[in-house]
Amino acid sequence: MSCLIVQSDKTLLLEVDHEQADACRRAIAPFAELERAPEHIHTYRVTPLGLWNARAAGHDAEQVVDALVEYSRYPVPHALLVDVAETMDRYGRLRLSKDPAHGLVLTTTDRPVLEEILRSKRVQPLVGARIDEDTVVVHPSERGQIKQVLLKLGWPAEDLAGYVDGEAHPIELDETGWALRPYQKQAVEGFWHGGSGVVVLPCGAGKTLVGAGAMAQAKATTLILVTNTVSARQWKHELMKRTSLTEEEIGEYSGTRKEIRPVTIATYQVLTTKRKGVYPHLELFDSRDWGLILYDEVHLLPAPVFKFTADLQARRRLGLTATLVREDGRESDVFSLIGPKRYDAPWKEIEAQGYIAPADCVEVRVNLTESERLAYATAETEEKYRYCATTASKRKVTEALVAKHAGQQTLVIGQYIDQLDELGEHLNAPVIKGETTNAQREKLFEAFRQGELSVLVVSKVANFSIDLPEATVAIQVSGTFGSRQEEAQRLGRVLRPKADGHEARFYSVVARDTIDQDFAAHRQRFLAEQGYAYRIVDADDL
Amino acid sequence: MDTAEPRTLAEDLRARDDDALARLLRARPDLLTPVPNDLTQLATRAATRASVLRALDQVDAFTRQVAEALAVATDPCTYEALHVLMAGTQAAGGAPPLGEALPADRAAAVTAALPDALERLRARGVVWGGEDRLRLVRAARDVLAPSPAVASATGLGPSVGEATAGMSPARLQEIVADAGLPATHDPVSATRALAELFAGSGGLAPLLGTAPEGVRTVLDRLVWGPPYGEVRDATVPVRAKAATTAVQWLLARGLLLPAGPQNVVLPREAALALRGGRAHRSPEPAPPPIASVPRTARTVDLTAAGQALTAVRTVAEVLAAWDTGGPAVLRAGGVSVRDLKRTAAALDLPEPQAAFWIELAYAAGLVAADGEVDEVYAPTPAADGWAQLPAEQQWSALVAAWLTATRTSGLVGSRDPKGRALSALGPDLDRPLAPQVRRAALDLLAELPPGAAADRDALLARLRWNRPLRPGAEALRTDLLDWTLLDAEVLGVTGRGALAAHARPLLAGDPTGAAGRLGPLLPEPLDHVLLQADLTAVAPGPLVAPLAEMLGVLADIESKGGATVYRFTPASVRRALDAGRSAAELQSFLTAHSRTPVPQPLSYLIDDVARRHGTLRVGAASAYLRCDDDSVLAELLADRRANGLGLRRLAPTVLAAQVDPTALLERLRAMGLAPAAESPDGDVLITRPDARRTPPRTPPLPVTDGPPVPDDALLGLAVKAIRAGDRAATVSRSTPAPRDDGGLPRSPAADTLATMQAATLTGESLWIGYVNAEGAASQRVIAPLRVEGGYVTAYDHTADETRTFALHRITGVSTLAETDNPS
Repeated sequence: MSCLIVQSDKTLLLEVDHEQADACRRAIAPFAELERAPEHIHTYRVTPLGLWNARAAGHDAEQVVDALVEYSRYPVPHALLVDVAETMDRYGRLRLSKDPAHGLVLTTTDRPVLEEILRSKRVQPLVGARIDEDTVVVHPSERGQIKQVLLKLGWPAEDLAGYVDGEAHPIELDETGWALRPYQKQAVEGFWHGGSGVVVLPCGAGKTLVGAGAMAQAKATTLILVTNTVSARQWKHELMKRTSLTEEEIGEYSGTRKEIRPVTIATYQVLTTKRKGVYPHLELFDSRDWGLILYDEVHLLPAPVFKFTADLQARRRLGLTATLVREDGRESDVFSLIGPKRYDAPWKEIEAQGYIAPADCVEVRVNLTESERLAYATAETEEKYRYCATTASKRKVTEALVAKHAGQQTLVIGQYIDQLDELGEHLNAPVIKGETTNAQREKLFEAFRQGELSVLVVSKVANFSIDLPEATVAIQVSGTFGSRQEEAQRLGRVLRPKADGHEARFYSVVARDTIDQDFAAHRQRFLAEQGYAYRIVDADDL
Repeated sequence: MDTAEPRTLAEDLRARDDDALARLLRARPDLLTPVPNDLTQLATRAATRASVLRALDQVDAFTRQVAEALAVATDPCTYEALHVLMAGTQAAGGAPPLGEALPADRAAAVTAALPDALERLRARGVVWGGEDRLRLVRAARDVLAPSPAVASATGLGPSVGEATAGMSPARLQEIVADAGLPATHDPVSATRALAELFAGSGGLAPLLGTAPEGVRTVLDRLVWGPPYGEVRDATVPVRAKAATTAVQWLLARGLLLPAGPQNVVLPREAALALRGGRAHRSPEPAPPPIASVPRTARTVDLTAAGQALTAVRTVAEVLAAWDTGGPAVLRAGGVSVRDLKRTAAALDLPEPQAAFWIELAYAAGLVAADGEVDEVYAPTPAADGWAQLPAEQQWSALVAAWLTATRTSGLVGSRDPKGRALSALGPDLDRPLAPQVRRAALDLLAELPPGAAADRDALLARLRWNRPLRPGAEALRTDLLDWTLLDAEVLGVTGRGALAAHARPLLAGDPTGAAGRLGPLLPEPLDHVLLQADLTAVAPGPLVAPLAEMLGVLADIESKGGATVYRFTPASVRRALDAGRSAAELQSFLTAHSRTPVPQPLSYLIDDVARRHGTLRVGAASAYLRCDDDSVLAELLADRRANGLGLRRLAPTVLAAQVDPTALLERLRAMGLAPAAESPDGDVLITRPDARRTPPRTPPLPVTDGPPVPDDALLGLAVKAIRAGDRAATVSRSTPAPRDDGGLPRSPAADTLATMQAATLTGESLWIGYVNAEGAASQRVIAPLRVEGGYVTAYDHTADETRTFALHRITGVSTLAETDNPS
């Protein structure tokens, strides 16, 4: 009995407790996407994108079929094998390459394919003159665009045009007192080998260091794109601490400061600011000959940045994220524009290695009082979630939870400012929200890190990239409806390994029998699929 | 053979022994219905065109080629002549042959295969006679011999005799002279001389030796057929001296003969000589080989077994989907396109595949129309029996049904010649060829070594050789073969294109043996699943039936295949509760069948759904009774007179009743109570008699006595008609004496014509009887104007217009009495 079951819908079920599971995982990882990783059986999916990425990484159909046939417990459906071979065969019929005379050209080994794609209305504006029957000029600025379009047409182009080195700048990792963890090294290697791509690591697993490692590999000027100013400061701080870079070499390009230095950290917000119909800060991309562009929290990449990124195909790009689930379903755009997934580790695996803290996730079901239920039943549809998420019953339970964990560093996270203000008042804790100044935020975070404050109430501004290593308990009182990645990011706040190695707690307070409960179920799905089993307890049992 | 040569097919049959006759009847079963009285009758029937056609359709390509060769040979034909037609003249010394010779190995193969092929034709009663007098039955010759209308597979044209049939003897003599032959006495000997010149090996070569350039090119184009060429002025006689073009050169010498004003034909004898005597360019004495693609037998069997399991499951899914009544039966029969789509979506398969499984279930007798008023498809009682069988027996039952079914699901969605779409389970899906092709294709696969797959094109070529078909049927066969290979793969009869070991006994008609061989290959059904905290359950293999059934209710299926992934949702748990399970039962069921502890979120989910399940109750009542004094209600419940009201206490002050409010009010009043009716809002209803109104109506129109008054135009027409009829009835008829009974006038045709012609001169009117194109007879009064070409143009008084009458339709004529003549 072997460990893999190949389903006809192209999912692969891997029994993780099996002795061959590790070998099998290695064999299928190049072409199959890990979709779910609960405790016993992991689900992988074979997608065209995954197969093409495998081709790009030098695997061929024979290897894929062999891996499936070797580890499969039951006969592999023939149709699936045929489909794998056919799909992989589509890759590489078209090639993007540099031509000494014509610049960027698209060549084909299969003339009808070229004819077919040239007939497409979406390809036509992207290509120039036909050089000969097998070759056509591509406008250099459309390199990303044409790759994206060809991918959608089902004829992915092999990009052999290479990368520009960019302006060289010495960057070294300063590994005194610490070292890159094995998986971080693998991630950096995976990225560098592939040239461009996305690294997926759990929150708290040290994605910044993967970025720093990549910079040390590139040894070139680097543009880092992050979500907000606090996060930009943290990057700067971390880079100064972990690499040979000095403060003068790192610039911040945000709403307040506009510094362009060999390593520049910019926020998505400033890039996407639009004045009089144009993006005035776009020139940042061209202001230096960047050798590497880093995208932090790539799952949040705003749509305009996708467009700019399409023009940057000649530069190395690294995307970092914990949760490549986008509620807008644009994961494939991330893959085609920034690059394929180069490294991915299940959360539980990193946890098993001790690099992130184990977490106990608890959903607390709160019974609403009768009057609250009545008010909920009569609320307008669009107000229903807000109402049930902010009921007084939930507040009381939250207070009880905080009291239960008195003395532990506790974060209370919510969506609605009124609710947070009210909670802050009752808990006698400061509230960090959108209107809190950056200086004030950093002051409060620092106080929390130092243990001067034990309870902090935060809005969704603290969803990402806030490094609070000592937070042990997180209590979520409301969220952005059913956002799966928000849930994961919030859990990530408490996953930094603790000094004493104890377990983190993540509470999600949910009003029973309301839409709050449905959203909670949806939010938890990503984490449940990563193997985080939520316990459900009744508030009355606490 | 008897010493006495048979003179007819009947005599030939009479001379055969009983075994030979039995062989004939086995090969041509249509000769047996009804059983012929004697051999003469049998021979007559065997020689009919329909029966011969059918017999020829059953033979292989080489045998058919032999028959075709006999059809272009002289009748009777010697074995040697036939051999030359098949294998060509041997290039043994003498002049080099005109045509390309058959390669020696092929010629040898033809020589070896010819006696058997001839014997097959003889056994089928298509050929008779001794070795030196081989006769093809006339109907076969008519079918196979080339004629101007039907091209022959040989590509040969008509013989010199046939092609010169309409030619003037003088022209024939010119050709004979130009061909370099002495003049003959009559056309018959002239054509014979020409034919002998062409056929004889010594005649044609010298003739062609003198030919100008271009002649060989023309001949090369026609020699292997089609033998007809298009030219200008084919019929204009050309003498050898006057010939300027290559075609004219050939026409002058009779090597091309006119076949119409614009067409010429290469006569058969000349073509045969140019071909080196062969009737076919490439005789195919041996079946084309089927190259086998080797695969591991084990892989083939496992793949097929996996697919067999999927097949059984898919059919089970069809049955489950239709368990509570499937799609409605269309008026013409079959499933509508929308219902097919729906079923396909339920099975998660493309529609053609869904159609296949539905048809398979139907062919196996597992689903059928229920025959109710609103007819729907539903599983049959046999389906319940089938569902209880082990998987391997389920499979063998399905495949046995598939092998012999004439219904062809591949046709679903296409249109019949009348443009109607063919629907699944609908009419017109039967193709008698389908099981034959299936059988033939699988038999060919069975001949290959175990685990060897075959190329589809090779299979098709072999099927074509085994049994050549007419073009229409051939297209269908190509489709059928493709479908067969596809179906066999999804059914698990083949794996990766090779016949699975477990399918071989089925071909030998042994379903039990097949099931026995399949059984060990199928995975053992499991009795456990893996439950996970993300609310999924994974069955890492097929489940035992009761477990699968229960899980199917309790959870939604997310992924199918070797394993099954189930997801628990509040809705799915509620479904299980609705099906009568309790939360405790579900919990213990999961505990019993999970190898790992039941995850807390799952047991919480079940308890949470169960907590809310049934807290709201829904029932039907026709009326309710409400009373603030609950003792009145208690009294009422106890009252025996209230028995028929179906009262039930819902709350201390509320009763539900099963009769409508009006009846309830009446009954309660009869019991001496004083109830009041309530509106839906709870107000007391004041009753007063309702005034009843119809919908808007228009007042009726007055009805007058008798028919409506006619208008002037109608009246005018009526009067004219009456007058004309009157004239026809009252004329005093003169010669020839009309009949007194008022029937049609009769006169001999010559008299009719003479009277007509006289009338055109005098301008008088005549009374005629006329039968129109539909055969209806009428009497008319006409004034003839012209008589020509068998038609009379005349003024018709009856219709008041000038018309043309065909003379042969006029039954007779009679002049009008002087007083009646209108002119």
